[in-house]
Amino acid sequence: MSDLSRRDFLRLAVLAPVLPALLAACKKGPQERVVNFFNWSTYIGKDTLSGFSAESSIHVNYDVFADEEEMFAKLRSGALGYDLIVGTDYMIPRLTALRLIDAFPEGALKNIGNIDPKFRGMPCDPDNAFTVPYLWGTTGIGYNKSKLSKAPSSWWDLWDEKYKGKISMLDNSRDCISTALLMSGLPETTSDERTFAKAKELLIRQRPLVKQYASATYIDSLISGEIVLAMAWSGDVLQASRENPQLDYVIPKEGSYMWVDNLCLVRGSAHREDALRLVDFLLRPENAADIANTVRYGSPNLAARAKLDKALLKDPRVFPSAEIAGRLKFHTLLDAEVSALWSETWSDVKVL
Amino acid sequence: MSQALSWLIRGRSSKASHLLLAPATFWLAVFLVLPVASLLILSVAQKGPYGTFLWSFTWANFARALDAKYLPVLLRTLGYAGTSTLLCLLLGYPLAYYLSFFAGKKRDLLIILLMIPFWTSCLVAIYSWIIILGREGLLNSLLLRLGIVSTPVAILNTPFSVILGMVYFYVPFMVLPLYGSLEKIPRTYIEASYDLGAGKAATFLKVTVPLSLPGVFAGCILTFIPCMGDFLTADFLGGPRTYLVGNLIQNQFLMAQDWPFGSALTSLLLLSLVSGLYFYQRLEARELEME
Repeated sequence: MSDLSRRDFLRLAVLAPVLPALLAACKKGPQERVVNFFNWSTYIGKDTLSGFSAESSIHVNYDVFADEEEMFAKLRSGALGYDLIVGTDYMIPRLTALRLIDAFPEGALKNIGNIDPKFRGMPCDPDNAFTVPYLWGTTGIGYNKSKLSKAPSSWWDLWDEKYKGKISMLDNSRDCISTALLMSGLPETTSDERTFAKAKELLIRQRPLVKQYASATYIDSLISGEIVLAMAWSGDVLQASRENPQLDYVIPKEGSYMWVDNLCLVRGSAHREDALRLVDFLLRPENAADIANTVRYGSPNLAARAKLDKALLKDPRVFPSAEIAGRLKFHTLLDAEVSALWSETWSDVKVL
Repeated sequence: MSQALSWLIRGRSSKASHLLLAPATFWLAVFLVLPVASLLILSVAQKGPYGTFLWSFTWANFARALDAKYLPVLLRTLGYAGTSTLLCLLLGYPLAYYLSFFAGKKRDLLIILLMIPFWTSCLVAIYSWIIILGREGLLNSLLLRLGIVSTPVAILNTPFSVILGMVYFYVPFMVLPLYGSLEKIPRTYIEASYDLGAGKAATFLKVTVPLSLPGVFAGCILTFIPCMGDFLTADFLGGPRTYLVGNLIQNQFLMAQDWPFGSALTSLLLLSLVSGLYFYQRLEARELEME
């Protein structure tokens, strides 16, 4: 130390924080194979990616989002180098219209046959070209049993003055506006501005009761007791109920929406072959089952069904009974003009 | 240093001066002129299908930005930024005063302590506040244990928590210029004031405060401007009632996919802040002339 001058020492001190990164950069030769995977937060098995890397020696750069509009904005502004993303069914028309995703090459996926035929040829991708179904779930109400005198059963419970300041809503136009339309008995297929005005009015009426509009942090708030009722995605609440057993999930009696999240190849991405290998890996029954068991969403993988936890398979909150399933719908696919109406309506709800 | 610079710039060799200015010019061009120019161009473009741009000229985004429905957000933001700035000043002035006049040997240490929260990642700080302020957080359990309240109070996601967050983040911006201007006051002026029979209060009010006004203004500007554009604090520590201009702009870019409208909003915010600064400088210059 003594023969280090002060200046040398300062230089080293400045370098110290970046040293690990520098070393890592040196270690990672040009041969290192990577896939850049952009997924919803808390949406994969614990050892899924390390299992893939161990088997294939392909490194996965894993990045997560909590808000698909943000994902879309990032993807659209380009140059982020993602290879594989997860897109919800109603996002697919947008992604294909702007040519942000590529079709899967014919015959590239050995395990695609594992997918339940029910989830193939969906309206968002009738030719099964652009999507590989990953997980599916529902939107409903997550709540804290111990803090409510009566379990919620209706969307109107989220409009109940009693729970003022203890309610959270998903921060996303699709879930909130379609729910408001459903509650008013109006069709989701509308392109009429007056219909949107009605949905807006209903959401603005609820605003004073809402503690936060959030799509990811609401889970922590539910666990900690900050809020007691939340418009929520099924698996999120069921994951959280591991930490706080008082948490429960219900699909309201008015009905609700279900959705399928899909793996999509980012257009012109640099690691196509390795991304396809990862998709095929995720399609294997044992991996698909492990993911579903961890995140507690439904798996569209038919071959994985036998490997799902018995409790999960029997759980009507994950796999709704035929009666409840009859009240579930997929979101309508929107053209560009109507989709602008949706986002403007949502922006107006939040601004007032 | 500045003498050397001015000698170089005014001096014989104009090449040297250009060379010296080159890095700063480059920096300004790439990180200021270019982004602002693209913002301005985008603000008069049209929104295309699915959030793409159509390059045809329109004032529509500005017309929309001036719609009366955005007035409450603007007023709310002014209120939050103004309150936070005022609180920063009330908290910062005594602190800067102490640092400059009484801290002595501890001064450097105290300044470093003041800067530490500023150096930590903004998100880490925000999450710490969430843990502290939550319904079952540290503050509430303390209040419950002391018997001050019987049921947890809502502190998080209220206007209070947003202002608290803003003051927490921006107080260094206030203290440092204040400290700088207090440091510059020649101590002989204060001694002279005492010699001429002024008491402590009179000296403080008639000598120290007027001489520190440049620092007060600089601090207020440095605090007010980031508060006007803040969206993280309002997003994480606030709720539906604390939706600010920054949130509105962020939502246009990331949620509504309406970049032209977002750019128009940003341009207006930028324009009002820059013109405010300009008029302040004009005013200051005129006062100097009058003296």
